[in-house]
Amino acid sequence: MDSSSMRSVVLAFIDNPTVLVSGVLRASRELGIGQQEPQTINQASPSGELPLDSTSVDNVIAVCGSEFSNDKLSEEIYRVLKPGGTVIIFKNLQSGIGETDKAVSALERKLLLAGFSEGQRLQLESSAEVDQIFGVKAKKPSWKIGSAFAIKKAPKSSLKLQIDEDSDLIDEDSLLTEEDLKKPQLPTVGDCEVGSTRKACKSCTCGRAEAEEKGQKLELTMDQINNPQSACGNCGLGDAFRCGTCPYKGLPPFKLGEKVSLPGNFLAADI
Amino acid sequence: MESNPGKLLILYATQTGNAMDAAERIGREAERRGCPVAVRSVDEYDASSLPPEGYVIFVVSTAGQGDVPDSMKAFWRFLLRRDLGSNWLEGVRYAVFGLGDSAYQKYNFAAKRLDKRILDLGATAIIEKGLGDDQHPSGYEGALDPWMLSLWGMLYQINPKFFPKGPDFSNPDAKLIDQPKFQITYNNIEERNYQSSTLSDLEGLELQIERARSMSGGKSLRDKNKPDCFLRMIRNYPLTKPSCGKDVLHFEFEFVSSAVEYEVGDVLQVLPTQNPEAVDAFIQRCDLDPEAFITVHPREMENRPLEARMETSEMPIKLRTFVELTMDVASAPPRRYFFEVMSFFATAEHERERLQYFASSEGRDDLYKYNQKERRTVLEVLEDFPSVKMPFEWLVQLVPPLKARDYSISSSPSAHPHQVHLTVGVVSWTTPYKRKRRGLCSSWLASLDPEQSMGIYIPAWFHKGLLPPPAPTLPLILIGPGTGCAPFHGFIEERAIQSMEGPTAPVMFFFGCWNEENDFLYKDFWLSHSQNGGVLSETKGGGFYVAFSRDQPQKVYVQHKMKEQSKKIWNLLREGAAIYVAGSATKMPADVMSAFEEIISTESGAPKDIATRLIRSLEKASKYHVEAWS
Repeated sequence: MDSSSMRSVVLAFIDNPTVLVSGVLRASRELGIGQQEPQTINQASPSGELPLDSTSVDNVIAVCGSEFSNDKLSEEIYRVLKPGGTVIIFKNLQSGIGETDKAVSALERKLLLAGFSEGQRLQLESSAEVDQIFGVKAKKPSWKIGSAFAIKKAPKSSLKLQIDEDSDLIDEDSLLTEEDLKKPQLPTVGDCEVGSTRKACKSCTCGRAEAEEKGQKLELTMDQINNPQSACGNCGLGDAFRCGTCPYKGLPPFKLGEKVSLPGNFLAADI
Repeated sequence: MESNPGKLLILYATQTGNAMDAAERIGREAERRGCPVAVRSVDEYDASSLPPEGYVIFVVSTAGQGDVPDSMKAFWRFLLRRDLGSNWLEGVRYAVFGLGDSAYQKYNFAAKRLDKRILDLGATAIIEKGLGDDQHPSGYEGALDPWMLSLWGMLYQINPKFFPKGPDFSNPDAKLIDQPKFQITYNNIEERNYQSSTLSDLEGLELQIERARSMSGGKSLRDKNKPDCFLRMIRNYPLTKPSCGKDVLHFEFEFVSSAVEYEVGDVLQVLPTQNPEAVDAFIQRCDLDPEAFITVHPREMENRPLEARMETSEMPIKLRTFVELTMDVASAPPRRYFFEVMSFFATAEHERERLQYFASSEGRDDLYKYNQKERRTVLEVLEDFPSVKMPFEWLVQLVPPLKARDYSISSSPSAHPHQVHLTVGVVSWTTPYKRKRRGLCSSWLASLDPEQSMGIYIPAWFHKGLLPPPAPTLPLILIGPGTGCAPFHGFIEERAIQSMEGPTAPVMFFFGCWNEENDFLYKDFWLSHSQNGGVLSETKGGGFYVAFSRDQPQKVYVQHKMKEQSKKIWNLLREGAAIYVAGSATKMPADVMSAFEEIISTESGAPKDIATRLIRSLEKASKYHVEAWS
């Protein structure tokens, strides 16, 4: 595990993608985490828990619509943040300036009560399309609170099969590496059929020997159609037995010397 | 730890049967080396039983847009549980083989994710994951052969008791040591008088289909034996100009049996009728008695306990009917194992040699060229190897099962009660050896004449697809080039009716085709709804946009048209619009997604990766749907 990479989480509780996008943009700039890809969580479970391990995250950016419950959320953010980690909460408020002030203070207080320190207000420029966005930035103190202990491995037989909440599942995309996500290389495919298996016979009469020299596919002459011959003896047996450059490829099996039946488009040149 | 290792468990997750085939091959190869196996589909296996297993091999296809196959969805959900912890599979040794196609961006994602997850759950890898690739000259077999050899080598190292005869296998007697999966019972003449004459034609057909399909293998647990309904074709007309290079038809069907309720976005699955001459030729070639009455039972074998006898009826069925309804003799190519088994039943030396060559690692690429790339039919293969006399049990097991084909429904039941419509492109192409091939189901449907359709009953099933029907107040952005427009034809019919009963949200529809003159499917329909305040009209906040890719020197596709409407798309997204994409797979869905990323990025000023995150969250919020086919 690369301990120097930062882990960030973005929590989003609104439908409006504009707010989400601007909010995350500004937060990223504030925290200087433009390079990493934050993990996005759309909703917590109804009990308010976040699907993250404790002290696993460096930064949390929460972008919230006008209605959500602060208390449980602040606790949860506190839990998942590493000591010394930062949280920025944006709220989308549609009210006048005085009320905004009150709301932001309330937010600051909540964070303080949850254990965060160094709270700062953030004011963001709002554009015409976007409602007022205000935010508070805070830090989780860097002293450790309690110590972690390993949970005993659960007995194998007692796992329930019923699961209802999506938040109980890990994000399946976290299983993929950078390498996996890159566009796959198509395997190099040898284009021509010449040279894959059998070589031309010593007494080749069908032209395979010349074709092999030139590396080409053979064309069928009228004579070969009316009076088919085969030095290798395989041409008449059907496609299963024919060589890669056999001029009769694609045709049904035939008897030597008997005219070969052709489907309509057979003599058309290759494009 | 040199005790007996027990059985090797092989779990497969298959979408079209390839992973099952690969898993069965791995099982066979293990058994030939003296190692007992148990081969199971993941949807027949309880994931919570994994921890006590010693050795597990996973064979997993990647389906759709990088997803696990349907049969694996529940199993995968279980494995993703956070509360399993990182020691749950401690002591389990595993290996993963994936089947995928590197032409897709999300190449083998299901196998890659599974491999990592199993590792994270505490198991130990036997060898690195193997990744089969359709783009390889011999398909997934190209990767499977070498991977298996490493697997045997490694397993032998871990515990030599796995392979008492050593990890390499040779068959000195050149005798077929496998057994067929089925056994056939021939019923004598007296039992023929069972069919009640009070059954109508339709009921008789339904019974036969149910019986035949329940006896035949190769279906998943979800496939139903009895058709949901029978249809009769009442209209059949072309949507494209003749000889333009594409043949797309509009079909209208009515219910012959009782009507089935369906919704727009649903999928109709049709069982095609095979060409009777081909069926006759097959029966003759294989020396079978078409009039014999048979029952087909799975043979009880150690590694495959009998599946629950659900509706397996004991009633016999005519051999010809069984072949006709369940064995695909003139369309799908057989698999490698078919050639291997044929080699044991070939009496001519040169045929036997050639078949053994095809079944070997050296001949694998040549087999691919002869068989899969050319789409050889079973009939053609049997005719190319005339000395092969394969017993019927083996034919039942190895002839590809006749599959019903899926089509997106293009009608709204509100607009056409008791009917269902389809938009079908007739599949036709020329093979590398310049042979002309046509799709079985599409050409059969195209050949049906509504005037002559009395007594021609089309067995069909209804499924939910990947496009959930939208509520009338949900704004929509639809992208459906070519036959991808089919489900949206139904969406628009439905919304037009809904708009007469109440307010409906705007719809933007992006269509694409080659030429305005040749293959502009449903041109009048789309235009009529985009004028006069229709649901696709600009006045209603929506729009209809077409890309004609070949009407000018440079290619113009739906994603180009989308970018022209960048602002409008962004505004609609901000109003909470849902995105639906349907059509030909491979490139189009990825190109469309890139276009959305660009649009979001441009209009909002956010960097590309934020735009990608946004689309990801739209997917999770069920607002981005893709139904793609090849």
